[in-house]
Amino acid sequence: MSAALQQPPVTELPPTPRGSLLRAELHRFRARRFIQVLAGVGVLVWAVAVVVGLLNFGEPTAADRAAAQAQMDQMLAENEAFRQDCLADPEQFAGPVPDGTTAEDICGPPLTEQDMGGVESLITKQPFDLASAGTGGALAFAGLASALAFVVGATWIGAEWSTRSIVALLFWAPQRLRVVGAKLAVLVAGATAFGVAAQVGWLTMAGILDAAAGLDDPLPDGFWSTLLQTQARGVLLVVLAAVLGFGLTSIVRNTGAALGAAFLYVVAVQLFLANVKPSWSQWMLGTNAVGLVNEGGLTLFFYDQIDYSAENLGEPVTYYLGHLQSGLFLAAVAAVLVGVGSWLFARRDIH
Amino acid sequence: MPAVVMEAVTKTYRGRRGGPPQRALDDLDLLVEEGGVHGFLGPNGSGKTTSIRVLLGLVAADSGTARLFDRPVPQALPEVVGHVGALVETPLFFPNFSGRRNLRLLAEVAGVPRSRVEECLDTVDLRERADDRFKGYSLGMKQRLGIAAALLKAPRLLVLDEPSNGLDPAGIRDVRELIRRLGRDGRTTVLLSSHLLAEIQQVADSVTILTRGRRVAHGPVAEVLAARPTRDVVVRVPDRDGAAAVLHAAGFALSPFDDAHGPALAVHEVAAPGEVTRLLAQQGHYVEELTPVHADLETAFLAITGDPA
Repeated sequence: MSAALQQPPVTELPPTPRGSLLRAELHRFRARRFIQVLAGVGVLVWAVAVVVGLLNFGEPTAADRAAAQAQMDQMLAENEAFRQDCLADPEQFAGPVPDGTTAEDICGPPLTEQDMGGVESLITKQPFDLASAGTGGALAFAGLASALAFVVGATWIGAEWSTRSIVALLFWAPQRLRVVGAKLAVLVAGATAFGVAAQVGWLTMAGILDAAAGLDDPLPDGFWSTLLQTQARGVLLVVLAAVLGFGLTSIVRNTGAALGAAFLYVVAVQLFLANVKPSWSQWMLGTNAVGLVNEGGLTLFFYDQIDYSAENLGEPVTYYLGHLQSGLFLAAVAAVLVGVGSWLFARRDIH
Repeated sequence: MPAVVMEAVTKTYRGRRGGPPQRALDDLDLLVEEGGVHGFLGPNGSGKTTSIRVLLGLVAADSGTARLFDRPVPQALPEVVGHVGALVETPLFFPNFSGRRNLRLLAEVAGVPRSRVEECLDTVDLRERADDRFKGYSLGMKQRLGIAAALLKAPRLLVLDEPSNGLDPAGIRDVRELIRRLGRDGRTTVLLSSHLLAEIQQVADSVTILTRGRRVAHGPVAEVLAARPTRDVVVRVPDRDGAAAVLHAAGFALSPFDDAHGPALAVHEVAAPGEVTRLLAQQGHYVEELTPVHADLETAFLAITGDPA
């Protein structure tokens, strides 16, 4: 250091330009290795999924049909052999035969192809049906992207706490809520871009599969409008998941703890309560995530509560989760987590 | 206008896991005039870093007032933070980013031009390794990057908390030289917190000494030294604790301390050193060394902050 030791020139700095904190945070978001690796892995997984889809969708060939027919014939033959054994000695299969009951009654009639679902059901290679797979694929992509967005949101602020670089940042930008706001704004922008990219990925994948191995049938009326609305709600879910991860980690100040809590919630709380107290499903994050994105919302069936009204006698009680209700619920939870995290950050002593 | 003023600042940390509360600052007063180098001395746990954290708005004081450039903090911190550069304890950067990228991120926050980043990297002689990841840096390189970050804003107040940590002897010398130069430029005030008494004595114009969260001495270094007793002696004996008990019973004020030569006792206000030798010998403690104390800062520091035996 001695050779180069020069006191840096002393000059007054210009006033801090507006938006500089946002730009710096955006710079960091783009430069984060985790984000870059995630993007790379995402593209790779997408490419693999497209290839797998191309290999599995398509017009069945004569060989595919012949193989399915052979499989069907074999299943029917095996079933008939079993039936013949049954007819020969029905008591071996059903115990003592009551009076008035014939062996035919016990062993049943011979099975037909229709009984087995038809030969078509055994042909694994089918054309890609965009009309039926469109919204389901959008939901799946939104779900996967949301899980990743949660991790991105958690690590985005968690890395600041683990390296304590947020302390260094406060030497430069001491208004803590402004710092949180800038980080949150960048996260929301990044998650939106990520959610849109995920849905574009699904559209592109579906387009490729449809062009290469799709049905020739025309798409139903309103298909694109329905699909795009589902995708838009999928993007919203991705943003909310990222904010949830950010908020939870802001409170516990540790990425590992936040991810552990999320895992515990999904595995223990949500699954446990779904079985023990099904009617609480309406308050579960996962259920509301589906309610938000799924076309037509989500109808829950509470099998622990039977409807005894005249019109639905004996049916389980149902509860409908609409898009708006689910979206508001998720947004409220995210707002509470971020609010508590920000409040704690604003008043905490930072070491 | 003073660069730093703290008046009757108190801070108590809640005890951890049911432990008793810890009073870190106890009516602390601090005055740092603008320009020059101000040393901030105190034993570990005396409240130096907490004081700095209060000034930088990281820790909220329970009571008292703090001001930077005559503006109250933390309320007006955003107004003055552009004039304050700080290195507090360990440099804090993103481990997977290079040193240069870390500095550029900070520069971007304050609108500092990129050329300034290069100047500061040059200043700490880190330009050649600036593109290496921070996590690959040695402790000394991390410290130098921290100093570079503190200099980025060309601050009027530079707060350095233990800046020599991890530096090799040449690096320590260079940092001291840099601090001296900054202190002499007529524009920069350096608040230098260090446990290295020699460092403070070599570079500081004024000093504040604190212990247990209270200021116990302050002023120009020369005045603090002049105010120290000059009739102190340092005594070394094989059994320091036994000797301390003997001298304490005889009414001497004592400050035990350890240095490079081992355990020792500073005995204060000794009218006749022979009396110390005689008392100890009578009780079977044979003196290995008895040295009159020179009025340096280390002695002053020990005398002020040492626990009486």
